[in-house]
Amino acid sequence: MSDITSDELKQKILDHLKTVDKTKNRDVAKALDEEKRMVDKAIGELATEGKIEYLYLNGSYITLKK
Amino acid sequence: MAGDTPMLDDLEKGPWPSFVKEMKRAAKKNKAAEDLVGVVELSYKDKITHWKHGGIVGVTGYGGGVIGRYSDVPEQFPNAEQFHTMRINHPSGWFYNTKSLRTVCDIWEKHGSGLTNFHGSTGDIILLGTKTENLQPAFDEYIEHGFDLGGSGSVLRSPSGCVGPARCEWACFDSLDLIYDLTQSFQDELHRPRWPYKFKIKASACPNDCVAAIARADFTIIGTWRDSLSINQEEVKVYAEKGMNIQKDIVANCPGSALTYDESNGELHVQPEDCVRCMHCINKMSKAIKIGKDRGATILVGGKAPILKGAFLSFVLVPFMKIEPPYTEIKDLLFKIWDWWDEHGRNRERVAETIGRRGFKEFLKGVDLKPVPQMVKHPRTNPFVFF
Repeated sequence: MSDITSDELKQKILDHLKTVDKTKNRDVAKALDEEKRMVDKAIGELATEGKIEYLYLNGSYITLKK
Repeated sequence: MAGDTPMLDDLEKGPWPSFVKEMKRAAKKNKAAEDLVGVVELSYKDKITHWKHGGIVGVTGYGGGVIGRYSDVPEQFPNAEQFHTMRINHPSGWFYNTKSLRTVCDIWEKHGSGLTNFHGSTGDIILLGTKTENLQPAFDEYIEHGFDLGGSGSVLRSPSGCVGPARCEWACFDSLDLIYDLTQSFQDELHRPRWPYKFKIKASACPNDCVAAIARADFTIIGTWRDSLSINQEEVKVYAEKGMNIQKDIVANCPGSALTYDESNGELHVQPEDCVRCMHCINKMSKAIKIGKDRGATILVGGKAPILKGAFLSFVLVPFMKIEPPYTEIKDLLFKIWDWWDEHGRNRERVAETIGRRGFKEFLKGVDLKPVPQMVKHPRTNPFVFF
């Protein structure tokens, strides 16, 4: 796992979300090889900033805000 | 717009309260509620639901608390095309004053259908029926008045607990404080979905389990005591004098055969090691028998209703834990369970189902607990288990 700043992690998450339709936090953490708790925190901040949104389709997912 | 509703009308008959009556009352004031009556009537007529749910609906920063609901017959009932549900986190023990209740209802009449459900099975206040464009204004107004959304989706659902020490002498811990503390501590888990599926915490402060935590919660906290229940022999005699058949109604019904009654001197005695905390004697002889003094809770895991697999009752994980602020032990255990489940759980798999698939042994290793006899189902009747 890399030693990156919160802003860098958030940017990596946004870049990753551009490549998928919808995903879950765990899959983001695996794809980026980052610690799940850090990813959870960053995703929470991105949601508060209005950059991502949550989707419910037989389970909860995240997606880039359209 | 709703026309004749013969099938719904039928549900208004009888001595019990009717949701139809309330929907019709709301329909007089609100167009969405009026069309709701029509959608529900059509559902009964067609014998199929006309609601779809899901998609992107919510308020900024939150992934839970709003359940998107859409009608599949918008051309017939345009005012109920969007009929989203909002969940408002309830206060511990469901204590409100009338001003709070009026505030909740006034805001909902302004932004929604005015229809509510006190309370949903998670414990939240359920606000039924609003449009996407009204969600954020309604949320902002609720926040302004000190309310917050509850959980929905793959989040920690709003923790709930019994009324506890506020009104009950059998509370083995302060369920009101515990639920409030857990709710405040786990705000992120409550509002931002991050797990395979939903996770529920419920706390009953004694083994009567008034919130049915054992059947309804993934993480069940049930009050208990480590020492012996206490018996006031003078009060026992009063019960006998008033005609209670203590031998038949109390002693013979003790599942652990822990009680003995000496009719010659009117004394009731208990073997504490045989008491299984069923509460029967305490419920029946509340003036004579009290819970023990060394109080805490049993932690159980895995209760759920059927979705992927059938209904489960929670099973024992920690036989006894002291439940005292700042509740560090219970929170540490929760984090371990969540980490393990998050790593191994499949999508829409509740923690009990993950435990069932991967094995209890692996789960115990994952949460750093050693196996103990109390984890065995019916340990006292199992000849291979001694305790």
